[in-house]
Amino acid sequence: MASASTGFPFNLPVSSLLLVLLLCLQSGGGQKKKENMLAEKVDQMMEWSSRRSVIRMNGDKFRRFVKAPPRNYSVIVMFTALQPQRQCSVCRQANEEYQVLANSWRYSSAFSNKLFFTVVDYDEGADVFQQLNMNSAPTFMHFPSKGKPKRADTFDLQRIGFASEQLAKWIADRTDVQIRVFRPPNYSGTIALALLVSLVGGLLYLRRNNLEFIYNKTGWAMAALCVVFAMTSGQMWNHIRGPPYAHKNPQNGQVSYIHGSSQAQFVAESHIILLLNAAISMGMVLLNEAASSKGDVGKRRIICLVGLGLVVFFFSFLLSIFRSKYHGYPYSFLIK
Amino acid sequence: MAEHHTAPDYKHKASSNAAGALSGNGRAGSSGGSGGLSGGLTQPAGWQSLLSFTILFLAWLAGFSSRLFAVIRFESIIHEFDPWFNYRSTHHLTTNGFYEFLNWFDERAWYPLGRIVGGTVYPGLMLTAGLIHYVLNLLNVTVHIRDVCVFLAPVFSGLTSISTFLLTRELWNQGAGLLAACFIAIVPGYISRSVAGSFDNEGIAIFALQFTYYLWVKSVKTGSVFWAIACCLSYFYMVSAWGGYVFIINLIPLHVFVLLLMQRFSRRLYIAYSTFYIVGLVLSMQIPFVGFQPIRTSEHMAAAGVFALLQAYAFLQYLKDRLTRQEFQTLFFLGVSLAAGVVFFTVIYLTYTGEPYHHLYAKIHIPIIASVSEHQPTTWVSFFFDLHILVCTFPAGLWFCIKNINDERVFVALYAISAVYFAGVMVRLMLTLTPVVCMLSAIAFSNVFEHYLGDDMKREKPPAEDSSDEDDKRNSGNLYDKAGKVRKHVSDIVTMLMLMLLMMFAVHCTWVTSNAYSSPSVVLASYNHDGSRNILDDFREAYYWLRQNTDEHARVMSWWDYGYQIAGMANRTTLVDNNTWNNSHIALVGKAMSSNESAAYEIMKSLDVDYVLIIFGGVIGYSGDDINKFLWMVRIAEGEHPKDIRESDYFTPQGEFRVDKAGSPTLLNCLMYKMSYYRFGEMQLDFRTPPGFDRTRNAEIGNKDIRLKHLEEAFTSEHWLVRIYRVKKEDNRQGLDHKPRNLSQKQKYISKKLMGGKCAPRGAWLAWRRGAL
Repeated sequence: MASASTGFPFNLPVSSLLLVLLLCLQSGGGQKKKENMLAEKVDQMMEWSSRRSVIRMNGDKFRRFVKAPPRNYSVIVMFTALQPQRQCSVCRQANEEYQVLANSWRYSSAFSNKLFFTVVDYDEGADVFQQLNMNSAPTFMHFPSKGKPKRADTFDLQRIGFASEQLAKWIADRTDVQIRVFRPPNYSGTIALALLVSLVGGLLYLRRNNLEFIYNKTGWAMAALCVVFAMTSGQMWNHIRGPPYAHKNPQNGQVSYIHGSSQAQFVAESHIILLLNAAISMGMVLLNEAASSKGDVGKRRIICLVGLGLVVFFFSFLLSIFRSKYHGYPYSFLIK
Repeated sequence: MAEHHTAPDYKHKASSNAAGALSGNGRAGSSGGSGGLSGGLTQPAGWQSLLSFTILFLAWLAGFSSRLFAVIRFESIIHEFDPWFNYRSTHHLTTNGFYEFLNWFDERAWYPLGRIVGGTVYPGLMLTAGLIHYVLNLLNVTVHIRDVCVFLAPVFSGLTSISTFLLTRELWNQGAGLLAACFIAIVPGYISRSVAGSFDNEGIAIFALQFTYYLWVKSVKTGSVFWAIACCLSYFYMVSAWGGYVFIINLIPLHVFVLLLMQRFSRRLYIAYSTFYIVGLVLSMQIPFVGFQPIRTSEHMAAAGVFALLQAYAFLQYLKDRLTRQEFQTLFFLGVSLAAGVVFFTVIYLTYTGEPYHHLYAKIHIPIIASVSEHQPTTWVSFFFDLHILVCTFPAGLWFCIKNINDERVFVALYAISAVYFAGVMVRLMLTLTPVVCMLSAIAFSNVFEHYLGDDMKREKPPAEDSSDEDDKRNSGNLYDKAGKVRKHVSDIVTMLMLMLLMMFAVHCTWVTSNAYSSPSVVLASYNHDGSRNILDDFREAYYWLRQNTDEHARVMSWWDYGYQIAGMANRTTLVDNNTWNNSHIALVGKAMSSNESAAYEIMKSLDVDYVLIIFGGVIGYSGDDINKFLWMVRIAEGEHPKDIRESDYFTPQGEFRVDKAGSPTLLNCLMYKMSYYRFGEMQLDFRTPPGFDRTRNAEIGNKDIRLKHLEEAFTSEHWLVRIYRVKKEDNRQGLDHKPRNLSQKQKYISKKLMGGKCAPRGAWLAWRRGAL
C-alpha cells in the first residue's frame, strides 16, 4: 500500500513530461498552418450559414468541417433521409422543427461562429452513416469544439421528441448557447377560419331571400350528432395522442385495425367505432320512424326490422370488439 | 289479442301529442285521467303515481345496494386518497364546530408552510355529512361520523336519480323520467365516484348539478321567481360542494344566449335568468374558497355578458312596443345585438375553447398535472366501459330532442354537446356527461317502448271494441291500426330484444361496479388458486405503527399521493399531500427521493424530516408502488432543479428504465431505490427465482448490497408494502478547534478537488485528511 502510493507521484510527472515534449515536437511546426486552416474553415462555415441557416453536407465536407480536429466551433448535425423515395415522414417533421431552430439561431442577436447547424442526408453521404454506425434517421448529434462526442451528445429522440424547444434545451445543455425559439406565426388557422366565415356569410347572402334552411332541424340535429359521435369514438384522444392509423405486423404483414389494449386505440379503430355508434343510433331512430310515420304497412314493417337489426347486430359487434380489447370481460351477445 | 290490437292506436295519438306539444305529456297524463272512474287506485293517475313512486324507490334501493360491494367485502372504510382528507375535515368539523372549521389552519400539512383549510376547500360535503350526523345524534341515533361519511354518497345517489327523474319528466315525459332514474342509479360512470366509502365532492355534486338544472328548466318554463330562487339555492349548494359549478354558470348562460339567437325570448326567460344571475352571483360569493372569483375570472364572464345582453334585448323589446318607427328600430336592434353577440362570442371563445386548451397546454408542460391519470383524454373503451348501451343510444335521444325542439330541449342538447366535448378531453369529466347520457338514452328507449310495448294500454283504453274488424272499419282512414295488427309479432320481438339489451346493461353495470370500482385501495385483497381470499392490510398496519410509535409531532416525508392518508390515519405531519398546490415543495421532495443518500440527507435535514415512508410492491407484485411512480418524481424534480436532476440519468443508454444490473448507476444509488430495496437482496421469495427478485418489474435487482448511512429502517409491514425509515440525527461532532469547521461537511467535494487540482488551501487539506482518517 505504502510503496504503491509513493511510487505513483514519481511516475506521473516523468511520463507526462515526455508526452508533452512529444506532442510539442510533433505539432510545433504546423502551429501557424493550423491557425490559418482554422480561420479558413470558420470563414467557409460562416459564409455557408449566411446563405442558408442549415448547411447541407456530403461525406467529404462532413469529414473536413465536422470531424477533422482543428475546430473552435460546435456543430449540430441532423442525420436524415429526406428524399421522397425513402418515405420517412418523421424526418420531414423533424426537419421542419430543425429549420425553425436553425433560423431562430441564424437571425438571433447572439448569432456567432460558435455554433453551426448542418444536415447530412443519407442519399448524399451514406458513407458518413456507415462510418458512425448509424442505422436510423433522423438522429441529432452534437460535435463539440473539443474532443469527441460523448453519449449525451446524441439527442434522445425517442424519449424527448424533436420539438425545437426540446432541441434548444439540449443544445443549451451541451454548448452553453441559449437559443430562444422563434416560430414563424402560423396563419393557416386564422385563414381557414376567415375562409369559413366568408363562405358561410356568402352563402347566407346568396340565399338571403330564402333563409328557411337555418331553421332546418334535421341539419342541426345532424351537426350535433356528428360532434357527439366524434367525441364518443375518441377522436379527441387521437388528436392529442396521435396514434398510427393501423398497425402492420412486420413479420407476417398482417394489418390489425384494433389495438390489443384497452388503454390505447388506432385511428382506424376509432373510425370503426364511430360507424358502429352511428349505426346503432340510426337503428333507434328508424325504429321510432317505423312506428310513428304514416305510410305503407309493409314498408314500415321493413323499416322496423332494419332498425332492429341495426341496433342488435351492431351492438353485439361493438360488444365483441370491446371484449377483445378488455381482457377478462365475461359477457357477449350473439357474436362471440 | 284485442288489447294488443287497440294499443298502438292510443299510443300513436299520445306520441304525436308529445311531439307537437311544448310540454311533455307527463303532466297531461297525470292531470287528465281518461276514464270516468273515480277514487283511489281505480284512477289512472293514482296508479301512475304509485308506480312512479315504487319505481323511484326501487331505483334508489338498487343504486344504494350496488354501491355496497366494498363495504360487504371489506368493511365500512374510507377509500383512496382524497376522501381521507374530507373525512379528516369532517371529523374536525364535528368535534370543533362550524366556526372552528372555517378558521382551521392545518399545521400538520405542507410542513413547514401549513394550509388554511377553511379557505381552500369546498365545504359542502363536510357540512352535509356533519349536518346528517348532528340530526341523527339529536334523534338519539348514535352513529359514528365515519359511517355517515361512508354511506353519504350511496344515499345521495338516490337523490340524484330522483332529480334526474324530475328533469327528464320536464324535458320529455314521465316514462322517460323513470327510465332515466333507473339508468343513473346503476350506471358505472356515476358509480365510479359514489361507491360507499368514496367520500368525495362528486358524490353529492352530481345531485346538486341535476337538481339545479331541473329547477332552472322549471323556472324557464314557468317564469316564476319562486322557481328561480329555488334554482339559486340549489346552485349555492353546488358551489359549496364542487368546483364543477363552473359548468353550470356557463351552460345556463349559453342556453339563454342560444334561445335569444333562436328568437325564443320571452318574459319567462327574462325573469328566470335575471333572478338566477343576480341572486346566484351573490350566493356563490359567500363561499370563502370562491370569494371574488365570479366577478374576476374569465370563466364567469360569459354569465355576465349574457346578463347584459338579455337586459339590452329586453329593453329593445320594450322600446319596440313604444316606438313606431319600425325601420329604424330593427336597424338599431340589429346593430346592438350584433355588437353584443361579438362580445359574447369572444368571451365564449375564451371560456369554452380557451380553458380546456389551457388545460391541455398545462398537461403537456407541467409534469404534476400530467402525472395525474385522471387528466388524460378518453378512449372509446372508457366511454363504453362507463356507459355501455347508453353511449350508443343517447345520440338517438338527442336526435328526437332536436327534432321536437322547445325551450328546455335546447338546454338538454347544449348540455349533451358541451358535456361530451369535455368528457372527450378528460377522463375525469365523464362524470358530468353521465347524467345527460342517461336522460337522452332514456328518451330514446322510452320512445321505442311507447311505440312497441302495448301492454299498459288496457287500462287507458276502455275495452269497448272487441273485434278487430269493427275497429278497422271504424278507423279505415288510419292505416296505423292495421299496422298494429300486422306488426304484433314484430313489436313483441322489438320489445323483447330491447329489454334484453337493457338487461345486459344492468348485468354490465353490476360487473363493472363489482370488479373495477369497488376496491378501497387502502386494503388490498389477493386470491389464492382455490378462490380463498387474503387481505393485505399493510397500509393501515404501517399508519397505525406511525401513530403508536412515533412522536406526536414527527414529520413524515412521502410522495404526495400518501399525504392525506398519513394525516388521516397516522395523524402525523406531512410535507406534501394530494392538495398539490405548491409545485416547488413537491419538487423538493421529488429531488430528495431521486438524489443520492447524502444529497438527500441535506434536503431532509433542511425540511426537518424525521421519517420517510415509501410504498414498495416488489414482494407481492403491487404495481402502484413508488418505483413505478418514480419517473414522475424525477420529472417534477427536474422541472424545478434542472441542474441537479436529469431524467436521462435514470435511463440505460438504450433509454430503458431498469432496476436490474443493467440499470443506470444513478438510479441504482438514489434514495428511493435504496429505501425500496434495502435488504431485499437477502430475501428469496420462492425457489424458482433468485434472491432479490422484484415481482412487480420481474427483474432481479441490480444493487443487492445496500448500506444506508443517514437513514435506518424503522418499520416494514408484513408484505413489505410500506417501508418506513428513520432519519438519523447528526452525530455529535468532535470538538473542533480549527477555524474552517464548516468545511467538514463538504469533505467529499473538496477532497475531489484536492485530488484533481494542483494545490489546495491548507484548511481544505486538513479537512480532507480528517475525512480520510
